[in-house]
Amino acid sequence: MMSTPHSQQSPGTTGSRPAGVRLVVGLLRLAAVSTILFGVTSIASAQEAAQFFRQNCMSCHTIGGGRLTGPDLKDVSQRKDRAWLTKFLLDPKGTIESGDPYAAQLQQEARGVVMPTVSGMSKERAEALLDLIDAESKLEKSQFVGLQIPDGPFSEADIARGRDIFLGKIKLVNTGPSCVSCHTTIGLGGLGGGRLGPDLSKVYERLENRKTLGSWLLAPPTTTMQPVFRDHPLEADEILPLVAFFEDRAQRGGEDTSPARLNFFLIGLGGTVLALVGFDLAWRKRFRAVRRPLVKGAELKRGER
Amino acid sequence: MELTTAFLNLLFFAILPYVALFTFFLVTIQRYRSQKFTYSSLSSQMLENQDHFWGLVPFHYGILTVLGGHIIAFLLPAQVLLWNRALPRLYITEFVMLIGGVLTVVGLLNLIIRRVRYSKVRRVTSLPDWILYGLLANQVVTGLLVALLYPWGSSWFAATAAPYLWSIVKLNPDLAYVSAVPFLVKLHVVNAWLVIGFFPFTRLVHILVVPNPYLWRKPQVVRWNWNRNDIRNTN
Repeated sequence: MMSTPHSQQSPGTTGSRPAGVRLVVGLLRLAAVSTILFGVTSIASAQEAAQFFRQNCMSCHTIGGGRLTGPDLKDVSQRKDRAWLTKFLLDPKGTIESGDPYAAQLQQEARGVVMPTVSGMSKERAEALLDLIDAESKLEKSQFVGLQIPDGPFSEADIARGRDIFLGKIKLVNTGPSCVSCHTTIGLGGLGGGRLGPDLSKVYERLENRKTLGSWLLAPPTTTMQPVFRDHPLEADEILPLVAFFEDRAQRGGEDTSPARLNFFLIGLGGTVLALVGFDLAWRKRFRAVRRPLVKGAELKRGER
Repeated sequence: MELTTAFLNLLFFAILPYVALFTFFLVTIQRYRSQKFTYSSLSSQMLENQDHFWGLVPFHYGILTVLGGHIIAFLLPAQVLLWNRALPRLYITEFVMLIGGVLTVVGLLNLIIRRVRYSKVRRVTSLPDWILYGLLANQVVTGLLVALLYPWGSSWFAATAAPYLWSIVKLNPDLAYVSAVPFLVKLHVVNAWLVIGFFPFTRLVHILVVPNPYLWRKPQVVRWNWNRNDIRNTN
């Protein structure tokens, strides 16, 4: 619609007020709106940064909880300046490859693991994350202190509970799918677990120890698992038994080499044959032909003669 | 490289679905309005009915089972995950679906072989029919391979495919769920969109005009409405 000076002046609102009052009212409104907007955005961005940290960083980093795969980020701003940190966050691999000595040291401390380039990272987001880390570093106990896992041996009950969680017998509190949907481990019996994801028999060894495995499970960072568990995260009291279960699996040694998939296929084939026999029986009186049997019969008779 | 992948994901999992769905809805409606009587499977049973049975019956029972499973997991993902919580129930679901899948493949292969083998049937087969056979064969074979190589699909479909499909329905495609799945699964998904887009141009439209009321309408007695003796005494 074309806008004309006339159409902008809506009847019965500000039309009767003097021009000065109108200007003041307008400015006040503008100020109010912008205060609300900026206030909301800064709260929103802080929440968003925390959410982002939870989903993308927490599987390898704590704030004040000690190192996992990556270093503890408490007071990271005191170790390096903003510009360096932002550059590293935007392109970890590039910074290491550029021959930066501190980046090389970080990689060495992480036993050679290179921090992946985080999808969705931008300069603004990096700044927001560093603000978040600074704020969390000042707290006595950050919300990102990570998972606290006891050092002592796990009990049989823990392992059994972990197995039940893995198999889905115990429902996950936040309604995520059970591990067995996509993963298998050694010694599951039956037809084993799923195969969309990797065999988890040795996941405990792959992730080195209880703490890294547990933190990994807090926010699984792989491209397949992240979207699935983004809105259905595992709870700490679900992760502990799972870690116990995985530790137990790793101690058994070996992976799931059972011919479960072949058995699955063979039983499926058997079922199919049964179904086909069933169809033939169910339609045994089906119309087959009129002319063909007559012709065949006639030919047989001719042969007999 | 990464950009190309991102672009292909966008093309196949966000743009293609809408092209396919728009084509599906617009053309099915348009075809029903303008060519109502082409809504048919154009049965060729009259031309050949021996091999027909071993194609038609397994294929239809199989595809109804498998497609029904997909639809249930799409509509009620949480309930499917709840059902699958007990391992024996998960295995039963998977076996039923697997048997449905093998029946579909066996039936479809029989149907294709029959089409090729019998010249009478071949004569009534159009180019769109052959293309459709290709698409359907690709769909059911990839589906069966996915079920066998990447168990347990009934669970992970509910956890990944269902939210992806809902994101399409809600006009806010979330590609995170599909961008990391194995190639075979991607092929199955893309081919499914192709089948949906091609659907209204083929005899698949018979699915939309299944005479469901036959199931509950009152029985009808069909009578010859003239004198039998008259018929016998003609000539």
